[in-house]
Amino acid sequence: MCLSATLRRWFRLVPVVALLGLAGCDMLEFSPSDHRVPEEFTRLTEKNLAKLQARPLAAGDTLRFVFTGDSQKFYDEAEELVKSVNQQPGISFLFVAGDVSDFGLARELRWVDEKLRRLKVPYLTVVGNHDLVGNGREAYQHVYGPLNYSFVYGDTKFVLIDTNSREYNFNHKVPDINWLQTQLATLDGARRQVVMAHVPPDDGDFDSTLEIPYAQALGTAPNVVLGLSGHNHSFRIGEYYDDGVTYINSDAFSEHSYVVVTMWGDRQFRIKRVRF
Amino acid sequence: MKRFFLLAVLLLPGVAAHAATPPDTSAAAVPPAPRKWWRPAHLLLQTGGGLGQVAAGAGYALAKNRLETDVLFGYVPRKYAGSTLSLASLKVMYSPFRLQVAPKVQVLPLTVGAYASYTHGIANDGVRGQYPKDYYWFSVDTRVGPLLGGRVTYLAPPLAATGQPRRVSAYYELGTNDLYIASFFGNLNGGLGFGKILTLALGVKADF
Repeated sequence: MCLSATLRRWFRLVPVVALLGLAGCDMLEFSPSDHRVPEEFTRLTEKNLAKLQARPLAAGDTLRFVFTGDSQKFYDEAEELVKSVNQQPGISFLFVAGDVSDFGLARELRWVDEKLRRLKVPYLTVVGNHDLVGNGREAYQHVYGPLNYSFVYGDTKFVLIDTNSREYNFNHKVPDINWLQTQLATLDGARRQVVMAHVPPDDGDFDSTLEIPYAQALGTAPNVVLGLSGHNHSFRIGEYYDDGVTYINSDAFSEHSYVVVTMWGDRQFRIKRVRF
Repeated sequence: MKRFFLLAVLLLPGVAAHAATPPDTSAAAVPPAPRKWWRPAHLLLQTGGGLGQVAAGAGYALAKNRLETDVLFGYVPRKYAGSTLSLASLKVMYSPFRLQVAPKVQVLPLTVGAYASYTHGIANDGVRGQYPKDYYWFSVDTRVGPLLGGRVTYLAPPLAATGQPRRVSAYYELGTNDLYIASFFGNLNGGLGFGKILTLALGVKADF
């Protein structure tokens, strides 16, 4: 009798202990490089692409998306950015041009996702040099997914590629030019192509022996319109290789600025910079 | 959590053994034999706190056991971090208060301290010439951070052979590290809640 009353009293603690246990598990970090995160923070690229494809864009429709770079450790700014982007009419997705994290840690990727998942549209990322520091490569792959990937949305094929050559100590394998050429060779039903990366090809952190092959891959492939990048935290636009491809570098979260890209027809596009 | 239960299981036989000792034989009639200066005061085993999935170590106690310094060696398997990590850490802790809650049980409600850790086995921590000077302002391998914790101690009977007092403690520590702190202080408009930068360590410590 007494025992069962005691037991019942202790059983009342079960939910409390379970809650503490769950919070505790989350906090029991083995190392900052420990990339265990709840399932909802894994395979985000795949999940966000599925969300994007669930709202297809009809052939011939104008495409509009937001393009920014380097979220890094700017969480206050990320909140302001989300508020601003959520007021943009007619956009399909937001693209972060790398350096999602500052220290290549899974916790940071999770903190960024906790902000960006409040966007009304899905977001996509490409890996940046800060995401490859330490064991960041494994953390990025676990939380987001592949370092190189491509997809078709509406009339546009997007090719996203790791261009952070310095993080591989310039081993001449990054960016993977063969992969890029293969991806760009076919339009897969799209009318135009856009390449997204973190480090722009003329930067000191890009393998200089691969700059021209990279530019040629874009310049000779069918209908590549834009080459987008981040890294430098400053806006820049130009046709740097005289081959019809326009290269645009975005501001970063820290600069309180992003770019709205509108694309239509075969090669038409418009760029609008927005302050937030 | 699984690891915590493992620690509890490891701890239990020791506690049971002490409990089985008749209390009247435990009183140290002879004063404890002098210790060698290098002999550690305690051994410890912990999980989390950024110092390993499992970390084992030894330490010294000073200032009437209020100040402790521990050295730990930790391990993180590849599946959790992308590469197998081994960590060497140093902790310094100060516990000013000691509450006697039962004849053989003490609670140390507050432990404040700091740690530094070095991680071996990081996949990309840079090789000579890879980065220009000050390319990244932070160290990839070395972490430092504050600790705040508490402890419950069971006063076991002294060793019959030597008369050395023994204690078995279970502790928790909340901590963080320099990178998380930098992230927090860069976002004082509420962009990063303080709770998000905390880590938890659970451990047991045996003084002998």
